[in-house]
Amino acid sequence: MTRVRVLLAIAAVAMGVGLWFALTAPTDTLQGEFTRIINIHAPSMWLAFLAFGMTALGSAIWLIRKQSRWDRLAEASAELGVMFTAIGLFSGMVWGQAVWGRAWDWGDPRLSTTAVMFFVYIGYLALRAATPDPTVRARRSAILGVIAVVQVPLVYFSVNMFRTLHQTQSIRPDGITMPREMAIAIFVNVIAFTIVYIALLFARIDVAKAEERAAADIALAGDAVKPPRLSEVKDV
Amino acid sequence: MSDELIVVGTFLISYGVIVGYAAYLHLRRRRAGN
Repeated sequence: MTRVRVLLAIAAVAMGVGLWFALTAPTDTLQGEFTRIINIHAPSMWLAFLAFGMTALGSAIWLIRKQSRWDRLAEASAELGVMFTAIGLFSGMVWGQAVWGRAWDWGDPRLSTTAVMFFVYIGYLALRAATPDPTVRARRSAILGVIAVVQVPLVYFSVNMFRTLHQTQSIRPDGITMPREMAIAIFVNVIAFTIVYIALLFARIDVAKAEERAAADIALAGDAVKPPRLSEVKDV
Repeated sequence: MSDELIVVGTFLISYGVIVGYAAYLHLRRRRAGN
């Protein structure tokens, strides 16, 4: 059993444990069953921040060392960050529709900065897909990866800077503003989602390595087997 | 639609995205071979 498979198996168990905590945690009197959505929403947004932070780290190290492993880390982490942001946005919209009475509000800084961050990282992946040369792709995406991470603190602190629809953080260094059981359920899910992130990160890096090897094999075969030119084919 | 159904649906879709992405990586890895 490979390392990736072991990690994915642990991640599946962690997700199951997280789900059990999410479904058995107490609910808020006003929000009812919708309280449970926070167990997906908050961990996925936290993991998106971590993933984009790792993309910036991988990008910065690539710019210094020019080793492809750091480019692979940046790429894998950005893809996962986009996935976790999509889950965070979706779950937040379902919760917002039920509790606020509206799924989206462009006037809310937390919502709009998250949407901008989401689209910028989709742009990061599009930039990678549009650049065939590996070194040029790594350089361009590394520069964007370092610049784009400024959005993470912007999204995180937007609720403190501009108070509108989205509530401020419930888990802060100065205390927790929710019942202990609810906070424990969220904490367990943050751990579970982190394990999922690590497992999928290694799986994605493994795919990138395998695809690079396959591309190198095709390049080698291409040198060995040249198609005949029409001018060389005399008996036609 | 009941509240429970919406919450269960949200969990199913969110977890489904993660499982779907893992399956997509598995297929890409198999296609790349070696």
